[in-house]
Order: sequence, then structure tokens, then C-alpha cells
Amino acid sequence: MDLEALGSCVMSAACLVTQGTSGFIIGMLLFLVAVGLTLIFGVLKIVNFTHGAFYMLGAYFAFSIYQATESFALALLGAAVATAIIGMVLERVFISRVYGGSVLMQLLVCYAFVLIFDDGVRLIWGPEFKAMGMPAAFQVPPLFIAGGVVPPFYLFLIAVALLVAALLGLGLARTRLGKVVRAAAQNPGMVSALGINTGLIYGSVFALGGALAGLAGALAAPVRSLTPGMGFTILIESFIVTVIGGMGSILGALVGALMIGFIRSFGSIGFPLFTDGLMYVFMAVVLIAKPTGLFGREV
Amino acid sequence: MARSSALRDGLVALAAFVVLAILPYAVGGTALPDFVIRVAAFGLFATSLNLLAGYGGMISFGHGMFFGLGAYAFGLLMQRAGLPVPVAFVLTLAITAATAAVIGAICVRLKEIYFAFVTLAFQMLIYSLIISWVGLTGGDQGLRGGIPRPPFLSIDLSNHTHLYVTSCALLMGGLLLMRQIVESPFGYTLRMIRDNAARAPFLGIPVWRTRLVAFVLSSVFAAAGGVVMSLFVSGAYPEFAYWTISGEGMFIIMLGGINAFLGPLAGTVILLLLNDWVTRLTEHYGLVLGIVILFFALGLRKGLVDFIMEWLEGRRSTAPETRP
Amino acid sequence: MTDSTGRGISRRSTLALMGAGAVSLATPWVARAQAKAIRIAMPTILSGRVAQLGLSSRNAVMMEVEKVNAAGGLAGRPIEMVVRDSKGQPQEAARVARELINSDGCELMIDGEASSGAFAVHEVARDLGFLCLHTNSETSSLSADPKLRIPNAFRCARQGIHDSVVGGSYAAAIAKAKNLKRWASCSPDYAYGRDTTAEFMLYLKHFAPDVEVVAESWPKLFQPDYTESLTKLLQAKPQAVYSALWGGDISAFIDQANIYALFSQMTLFAVNLADYTALTAVKNLPKGIHSGNRYLKIFPATPQNAAWADAYRAKYNEYPTNWAWQNALSVTFLSEAAKKANSTDGKKLAEMLHDLTVTSPFGEQGKVTMRGEDQTIVDYAIGWGTTIPTEPYLTDMQPGNWAQITQLETEWKKSKGYT
Repeated sequence: MDLEALGSCVMSAACLVTQGTSGFIIGMLLFLVAVGLTLIFGVLKIVNFTHGAFYMLGAYFAFSIYQATESFALALLGAAVATAIIGMVLERVFISRVYGGSVLMQLLVCYAFVLIFDDGVRLIWGPEFKAMGMPAAFQVPPLFIAGGVVPPFYLFLIAVALLVAALLGLGLARTRLGKVVRAAAQNPGMVSALGINTGLIYGSVFALGGALAGLAGALAAPVRSLTPGMGFTILIESFIVTVIGGMGSILGALVGALMIGFIRSFGSIGFPLFTDGLMYVFMAVVLIAKPTGLFGREV
Repeated sequence: MARSSALRDGLVALAAFVVLAILPYAVGGTALPDFVIRVAAFGLFATSLNLLAGYGGMISFGHGMFFGLGAYAFGLLMQRAGLPVPVAFVLTLAITAATAAVIGAICVRLKEIYFAFVTLAFQMLIYSLIISWVGLTGGDQGLRGGIPRPPFLSIDLSNHTHLYVTSCALLMGGLLLMRQIVESPFGYTLRMIRDNAARAPFLGIPVWRTRLVAFVLSSVFAAAGGVVMSLFVSGAYPEFAYWTISGEGMFIIMLGGINAFLGPLAGTVILLLLNDWVTRLTEHYGLVLGIVILFFALGLRKGLVDFIMEWLEGRRSTAPETRP
Repeated sequence: MTDSTGRGISRRSTLALMGAGAVSLATPWVARAQAKAIRIAMPTILSGRVAQLGLSSRNAVMMEVEKVNAAGGLAGRPIEMVVRDSKGQPQEAARVARELINSDGCELMIDGEASSGAFAVHEVARDLGFLCLHTNSETSSLSADPKLRIPNAFRCARQGIHDSVVGGSYAAAIAKAKNLKRWASCSPDYAYGRDTTAEFMLYLKHFAPDVEVVAESWPKLFQPDYTESLTKLLQAKPQAVYSALWGGDISAFIDQANIYALFSQMTLFAVNLADYTALTAVKNLPKGIHSGNRYLKIFPATPQNAAWADAYRAKYNEYPTNWAWQNALSVTFLSEAAKKANSTDGKKLAEMLHDLTVTSPFGEQGKVTMRGEDQTIVDYAIGWGTTIPTEPYLTDMQPGNWAQITQLETEWKKSKGYT
């Protein structure tokens, strides 16, 4: 424990800016993954254990597309579209068969696909880790703001994540599709009685969640190592985020993700050996105080 | 009635133990004892998880922490304190029960998914503790140098045959005790809470306390499984407390079936056979296992023993409906 | 077996060998009539996150076994390797090791497990008494701690303490020349990372006493994101950073450090960077990072070493790894010991392995010795150099001084109560 270091960091503008943006970076990327998870739970009522695998697939797709085209924009787009398609197929063909069954059965189907995707990636891309490399546009020196250091690539990453958050929020609140999705989450039987194809909605939500995780993987690919099984760490952190924020709440996912981001960035100064433990402790405290999470409703 | 069924269970367990104990002499070779010891470790663990998840409706993602705790507590007590084996065994179970009481007090009032995640979080917390507390646990290298096992009551656990017979005894004893628990009034209260937690309080059932007791009891049997594993590998390793062990336990009970009492044991045998066979043939274990899981989850839609039981029941269609 | 497509073919050859084994078990009288093949067990990690470890270990062993068999085998008996996956789980490593010896008729073992798996196999070796060569465990206590030592197990791998002595003395020379006084570390939070970092700093201060450590950061093993560690380093403003991160972790660390322009402000000493898997994966490898050698074709700069790297690359279409040379060397040790003993008996081989010196491309002077007192290898090539963005990736290699290593290692053992 090093509370003195934490204290002096909070008092210094340079440290606040650097660690603060660091918290934003970790948090916003986490938000992209967690929001898909929470959306899928909100509408489909299943805990999507394959979500980390979509993050991994997104990163690998981006890696290959970037190698072929040298365009990071295409890599992001391609990764999101490809993971969306895989998500749609997965939900329609397999996961939809275990709705209404026991939670364990749903878990098992997801677990099977985690194993299959991990080994599939290894078969296609090989067992050794891959590094994509930073796109030329972002190979620029970092910015200095009030003595703190902020890399432009991370500003881009935060901007994309914020844009996605805004679009999602607006889309669900304002559009017809958003209303149908929210209605399907409340009462699927009624929605389908109104002649709306709930299967298609479920598939689309799953695809959207997959695309968001895939996009997060693609965004992270330039700075993270690609290995089979890379989705697991981010899956666990996303679970923590959704549980803290409340399963099914998009606002909860945003708040939870940013909280985890700040716990990591300031925790590494104040509690360098217990940063991970800090996340679990925080989650336990939140759940003891409010068992449904910060923004969760009774389910 | 209850007493006679308990007697019958006891006789069945005794007979199974005798058969297991003489089996290696009939079959020969050392492969079978090794396999059965591992079945004992994971069988105890999986059946204890089923006590919680199947009978109690509490799906824990963190049950592996008690398996790991059992292995570490026993290994440390033997290495550091030099206690006799039975004393260390009982102390291990007591330590696990105390830990489970604290963790359970926090977890059991949470609902389904939240319960699952908080138990997972506690498991990761215990795992991080094992990894970082290098002075006590040896960190990621585990407890090294072997677990000493002084003979007691003329049982010498460093002799592989003795270890085998002891493991069989622990397995049968553990199964028998768990069977008595699920068939007791307590077991039926637990099932009732699982089926209708909202109604139970109106009947004067203390939901929180019942669930907590189930949580603690199941942790004790999981720890016994951990002890068997620590004796088999002569050490304890952080992997024993990792989430994958919980995942494997979950997978085992789904494979075998959650309604039949012996489902998890059957699941253990199936998974270990599958594991040993597939790793011989390919390094793409995940791919093969994934496809097998899909077959069970989407094809049978239930564990093997449950599937067979229901099929048999379907054939005896005239027989009166009995709740499993 | 002469195909050069790497992974696929080597699996098929393992299967073929296993098939051959099944036949020889089924018809023992035929097998005994010819020189009976000797089966060598190899539990290792062939799946999951560190599958590369087991795959390159197996590749190297297979390549060397072919040579030994072509030259008449182990004391006249052809070698059959039985390689099996433990998935990196210690209980599986123990299970597989027991099964290979008890049920598959293996007489010797090359243990390709790392970390906790190696200790699990070590206990099996203690229990069953077969000859075991650990090829992937770098944890010093495995051979240094007399409480763990058994007469039938040897280590044929580099050691953390050796790396730290060489790294400390190399870094001290640079610290003095460039006046680098403020140091920090960023190493993975597990036993290996902690021990090697503490030992590196110990020897750095031993050789350059006015160095101070201003910050430490301990990311988890396989942590995907180092942002908080990097910003912490930027706050502490050290002049130099030591890191024991390895594989994909050091690669991600460098990629992320690059966008913070970290290397314009501090010098990095990354002991585990110079392995081809990492060197070839990192895009925009910065110039001037200091690294210890894991495996390099250019170090030791001998024709034998270069020829071995080329042969491996031609056969498997990839560069050898640190794991590859250690496993290749273990086959050399077995075959030399068998020659001297003219036997394949584990006990006799173990006797011969004590203080055995073999000619090897990986020796500092073309020779590697299995030190008898603690049953671990010494005099292997060990050194540090600086990175350049293109092949051969490292330049200006400074070999370590084995006299100095041995002296400081002895003192270290005393301080740990190992002697």
C-alpha cells in the first residue's frame, strides 16, 4: 500500500491528467465489451459467456484485414461486420435452442463455443501470439496537457467508444427498433403477439452485442498481443462491470466501466500489488449494499 | 423408512468400496488406481457442487476455491505443522467450513446470476491471494518438495496401494454422507427453497440460514476432494483454485445429470475418460470437447444419467409418477 | 518426417510413433529380437496460451532424436518419443507423467513442463525414480534447493539467477557510462517475475552502488493492458526500466510504450525480449532496447550455432525459441551419457550425467556442462545486447562471465540457506 504516493498524485495536475486519461482508456474499451453483454442479457436474458471470444475474433479479423489492406478503418469495419454475422448465426442456429431451458444448459452451449473458437483461432492463425502494429496515422508523438501525457491513438479510441455509447443510447430511446427491443425485453410474448418477429430481434441484438465486442477487439489490436484465449481476461472484467452497473443497464455499464478504469489507474499508484483484488472488493461491496447493482432493476 | 434406506445406502457404499479395493488385484497394472484416485478427487468435488447447484439451485462459479483451499490447507498443515494425517484432514475441513461460512454469509442472499458472479469474484480473490502470498503458498510454483505423510493406524499414504484404498474410502464415505444430507428433512427443505424461494418464508423456513448451511456443507466435501488431489500430485498448485476447476465441475454435473444423485460421479468418469483419451490423440482438446458438449447440450438436452433415467421411466409409462 | 511444414507433420509423426509403440507392445517377442526401442516420455504444454512452448520443444527434440537414431540410437537402441499434452495444468502433468512411465512403457523422461507443472513432474520422478531432465523450468530453486533435489532429476535449462547476475553486471556498466541513477521495474506479478527482478536489482546495485529504485509496477501475468503501469512509470520519471515480461506480454508492453514515447525518456532493459517469437512479432521494434539472449542465431557467433538455427528453420519454417535449444541440448546430454555408460539404464545414465561436458552449439565456448553438485547446466551461452529494427535484431552482444556468475551464484545460495 502506498497512500502517500496516491495522495501526492491526486494533488498534482500532471498525474491527475495522465492517470485520469489512463482510467478513461481502460474504462471506455471495457464499456464497449460490457455494453454488448448487458444488452444481450437485458433482451435475451442469457449470460453470454462467448462474449470474450467475440472480442478475440474481432482482434484477429482486424489483424488479417489490416495486413491485407493496410487500412485501419477497413479493419475496424470488417471486424465489426464479421463478428456481427457470426453472432447472428450463433444465436439463430444454436443459442436459440436453449431459451427457457436451465441456465446451466445455456452456459454449457456458450462454454462449448468458447472452446471451439479458441481452438479454431489457433488452427487458422497459429498458436504463437501476433502483434498488429500501430497504423501509420497514429505513429505520432503524444500530446502534453497540463504536464500530463495523452497519446492521440487513445483519444481516438475514447472518441469512438463515446460515439457508440451516444448512438446506442439515442437509438434505444428514439427509434422504432429501439422501442421494439425494449418492449421485447419487457414482454416478449406480447411483442410477438403484435406480429413482430422476436426471433429476428433476438438475433439482431446478439449480432449487435457481438459487433460491439468485435469492434473493441479491433480497436485494441494495435496495442495488445493477439493470442487464442485472449478474450478471457476481458470477459471477467466485463462481468464485473455489468454486475456493478446492474445487468441489463446501459448506463450502468458505462458507469461501471469507468469506475473499474479509475480503480485500475489510481489503484496502481496507491495499491500496486492489489489492483486486481481492489476490483473484486469493490464489486463485493457494491453487491452487499445493492444486490442488483447500481442501476439494476429487480429481475 | 428413513432408517432402512440409510442402512441400504450404507451397505451399497460398503459393497462398492470392497469392489473398488480389490479391483486392481483383478485387473492388474497401475493405470486403474491412478484413474480411480482422480475420480475420487473430482467425484467428491462435483457431487458437492451438485449439492449446491442441483439440490439447492445455487449455481456457483466459484466452487473450485474450496477444492483449492482444501489442497493448500492440507498441504501446508502437513508441510509446516507436521501434524498426523487425520488431524490435518479434520483441521482442513474446519478451516474450509469457516472460510465458506464467511463467504457464504455474503453470497447466499444474492439471486441466481449475481450469486454466480460474486462466488466467481471470491474465487478470483482467493486465487490472487495464493499467487501473491509467495512466502506461504509458493506463489505460482505451488507447494513444492512433496507432502510428507507419516503413517497412522498402520496406514502409509506414501504407499500407492494405501493411498488408493484410502481415496476409495473417502469417496464412498463422502458420497454416503452427502446422500444422507439430500435425503434428510434438511435436503427436502433445500429443494423446496430451490423450487419456490418466495413461498418458503411463509412456511417458517429460514431461507438464508438453510442456504448458508448448504453452502458450508458442500464446501467441506469439495475440500475433501482437494485433499485427495493434493495427495495424488503430492503438492498443491494455484490451478486448483482457478476458475477452470469450477468450470470443469459445472461441466461434469451437466454431463452426468443433476437430478440423479450419482449423476456427477458418472459425469466425472465420462469427463476423465474423455480427457485421457482425447489428449492421447490430439492437441486440439478444446475443439473435440466443445463438440461433445454441444452434443450433450443440444442433442440430449440433459446429463447422461438423467437421460437414461427418463428413458427408463418413459418405458415404464404405467408406473406412477415419482419426483426425482 | 522430412516434410518441412512444421506443426502438422510433427503431430503425425508422434501419432505414427505411438502407433508403432502399440504394435511393439502387442508383439513383444518380435521387438525383443531386434534392438528394442527405448521409449522416452515427454509431458509438455501443447495447447492453450503457451502452446508455442511445447510445440517448439517437441520440434527440437524430434530433430535431435532423428540425428541420434541415424547414428545408431541410444546405446544401440532407437529412440521413440512419446509426447503428450498436459494443457499446462499441474495435476494433468502429474497424471500424464505417471501414465507415460507406468502404462506406456517409457523408461526415461524429458520434462517439457514449465512453472508449477515442472514441480508436479518432479514429485512424480521422486516417487517413481525414473531419470528425468527438466528442460523448460527456469526457477532456480528446482535445482538449487537441496530439499527439492533428487538424484534422478536434472535441469537442462537456463536459470533466473544466471540471467540476473549477467544482466546486473551488464546494466551496471551501462548505468555508469551513461550515468543512469534512477531505475524502475515493470515485471509480471508471479514468482519468476518477482525473483528475477529482485535479483537483477541486487546485482545492479552490487556493481553500481549509487543506483536507486524509484518505482515498481507489477502487472499480472498475461495482462492485456499496461496503461496504468506505463503512466506510473511516466510519473516516476526513471532513467532506466527493467522488465522481466516475456512473450506476448513484452510485445504488447513495447507497442503500448511506443505510443507514450516512453523510450525517448528512458532506457529499457528487457531480459526476455531477444527470442525470435517476440522479436519478429513486434512491429516497429525500437532501436537500443537492451535484452538478454533467449535464443539467437548470432549468439554465440559460431558456424555450428548458425547451422543449427538454419536447419531448424528449414525443417519447421520458423525460428527456434529458447525452449527449442534447451530441449535439443537435453537429447545431446542423454545420448552422450548413454555412450559413456554404454547402457540406457536410468541409474547409470544419471551417474554419467554428473559433471558431464558435451560439445554443443549452445555452449559459451562450444561446450556445456551438467554441474554435478546441483545437477543443472552451466557454461551455456548467456549475454546481453541492444536491439536494431531489422535482422539479426540484436547487435553488440556482450557475453557473460561464467567465473563471475558462479562466484555470485555461490554467495546467493549461501544467503538463501541452500548450502
